[in-house]
Amino acid sequence: MKFTIYQESRIGRRKSNQDRIAYCYSRDALLLVLADGMGGHLHGEVAAQIAVQFVTQAFQREARPLLHDPAMFLSRALTNAHNAILDYAFDKDLREAPRTTVVTCVIQDGHAHWAHAGDSRLYLLRGGRIAAQTRDHSRVQLMLDQGLLDAESAAHHPGRNRIYSCLGGSHPPQVEFSARIVLRDNDTLALCSDGLWGPLGDEGVLRGLSDPFVQEAVPRMLDHAEQRAGATCDNLSLIALRWHDDSAPQPGDSVSTQTMAMNDFTTQLETFEQSRSPATALDLTDDEIERAIAEINSAIQKFSK
Amino acid sequence: MQCDEARILPRTPMPSQANAPLPTGFQLDQYRIDRQLSLGGFSIVYLAYDEDDTPVAIKEYLPNSLAIRQEGQLEPQVPDDNLPAFRYGMKCFFEEGRSLARLMHPNVVRVMNFFRANGTVYMVMQFERGRTLHDYIHRHKGEVSERFIRGVFTRMLNGLREVHAHKLLHLDIKPSNIYLRNDGTPVLLDFGAARQTLMSDQPMLKPMYTPGFASPEQLGNREALGPWSDIYSVGASLYACIEGTAPPRSDERQQKDTLQPTTRTHTGRYSAQLLETIDWCLQLDPLKRPQSVYSLQKALMRREAGEAMPAGWFADIGTKLRSFIGRT
Ligand SMILES: Nc1ncnc2c1ncn2[C@@H]1O[C@H](COP(=O)(O)OP(=O)(O)OP(=O)(O)O)[C@@H](O)[C@H]1O
Ligand SMILES: [Mg+2]
Repeated sequence: MKFTIYQESRIGRRKSNQDRIAYCYSRDALLLVLADGMGGHLHGEVAAQIAVQFVTQAFQREARPLLHDPAMFLSRALTNAHNAILDYAFDKDLREAPRTTVVTCVIQDGHAHWAHAGDSRLYLLRGGRIAAQTRDHSRVQLMLDQGLLDAESAAHHPGRNRIYSCLGGSHPPQVEFSARIVLRDNDTLALCSDGLWGPLGDEGVLRGLSDPFVQEAVPRMLDHAEQRAGATCDNLSLIALRWHDDSAPQPGDSVSTQTMAMNDFTTQLETFEQSRSPATALDLTDDEIERAIAEINSAIQKFSK
Repeated sequence: MQCDEARILPRTPMPSQANAPLPTGFQLDQYRIDRQLSLGGFSIVYLAYDEDDTPVAIKEYLPNSLAIRQEGQLEPQVPDDNLPAFRYGMKCFFEEGRSLARLMHPNVVRVMNFFRANGTVYMVMQFERGRTLHDYIHRHKGEVSERFIRGVFTRMLNGLREVHAHKLLHLDIKPSNIYLRNDGTPVLLDFGAARQTLMSDQPMLKPMYTPGFASPEQLGNREALGPWSDIYSVGASLYACIEGTAPPRSDERQQKDTLQPTTRTHTGRYSAQLLETIDWCLQLDPLKRPQSVYSLQKALMRREAGEAMPAGWFADIGTKLRSFIGRT
């Protein structure tokens, strides 16, 4: 495989960054994943972290170096991530499970497969046009589909953040899967959170990524989005990938996986501040011991009734 | 949470002698220690009494290889080098507490309290009077009756079903972790290995499996772990009941299978239907075993001519059984 990839996430004007992004590849398969933890909800960033981490770890386990069945992989990994978030809520005795959107894409054998829940998006750009994009699982999108709203008023609709599908939360996610899509030389795949597509719009995303160098386009687009959003700027994240045919000459900053060993992985997982996830914290402080004991005792109380 | 046994290895080697138990009469929090019930590599279990003189079983986290407690001491000594591993093992001990706290079932040991003292942690359980199935098998070698086997396992499996319904795997089912109350009802003990959740997508932990009772996927391809892995261990425990010993290790069986089907070795002593069920559970290929506890229970419940099974052995299925569809 040959591709150029660049990702970046910024906090915007918020107190914490609840977006999480990662990509990971083996010799023959590539994974992109982005999650936007839901702000209004407790522990949104934990939900996003669990989602990204689960999907990446599943990929590292199963892409050896090819995934057996990419569509099945996506389905299983997202279901497992959803359940892991519920388990986290259970363990922490949270009244409500935290939530996160997710959009993730797998590429292997020259084909892309993606899946999403919520309003984080994937765009496939080809020949200066949007060749495919995900449909937001939002009320506004439903109203657009029914002709109750036009694009202009949708962009300013007060309820535009309301989504009806996500990982975590009290309802099982309604994950939407793409068909298997053949990639062509110079195709661009972009995964982004609403903090990016909101201020830029489809047009802005398309224009921004017409730049031949994704590693320059991405930071510039984030700058633009931040300027446009102003004082209320949300967390914003973008992963952009440019696909190159195996036969194409190797562009400067691109990755060629040909020489990788069968079981090797390269992973880029962005973590922020103290993105302590339940699975990664290894040492145990006195406080944590006290908390673990308190949790167990409260579970004992809860279940002995 | 992933519990990796490799991480509980000592940096500073410890003399491998048993740790001193807390003395009789010792006041531990609200409990009075009576005596030591058992000593494992990871913990000591005591019989103790609470303020109302109700007996309880208390499990003390005390890994032999990392911490040492001499006669007359209370706090175990943990060399600095071993401290991270000691704390890590403590996390695993918490996992056992977490798993058990969620499970309320007459065939699963009940945990009542969890606390910290003497530089370590303690789990308080309901005290059960009786003995382990392991002891029973040894006392009745070669004469464990079919009726007894069906009765114990059908009810023990009610507990295991509850474990699976909580998306947990036990992963250490064996006769010494199946406890028989004096009234004959079984109760599942020792969830030290139930740290692996069914849906967990995390790198696999290595629980302290017991060769002979552990499924091949537990020793090898851990991605294939599922309810069928516990079912293999149930099959091995059934086998131990009729044979008196564990079957050969499953990883060795995979190289060269020396296990004779019980349908060949024990015909006449037990019904063909029971022996077929045991052989079914002991299949090396996970897909060839019963896929759920429920299907195994049905097989164990199938009545033999002239032998009626009390309906009460089999808890109602509808309420607790959840499907595993969509999770592999
Ligand atoms: N609730 C209980 N009531 C009565 N006896 C118990 C109870 N829990 C444990 N025991 C006794 O202690 C023995 C050991 O318990 P258990 O299997 O939980 O620990 P272990 O095998 O030492 O565990 P580990 O692997 O964590 O060291 C049991 O076989 C049983 O004899
Ligand atoms: Mg035991």
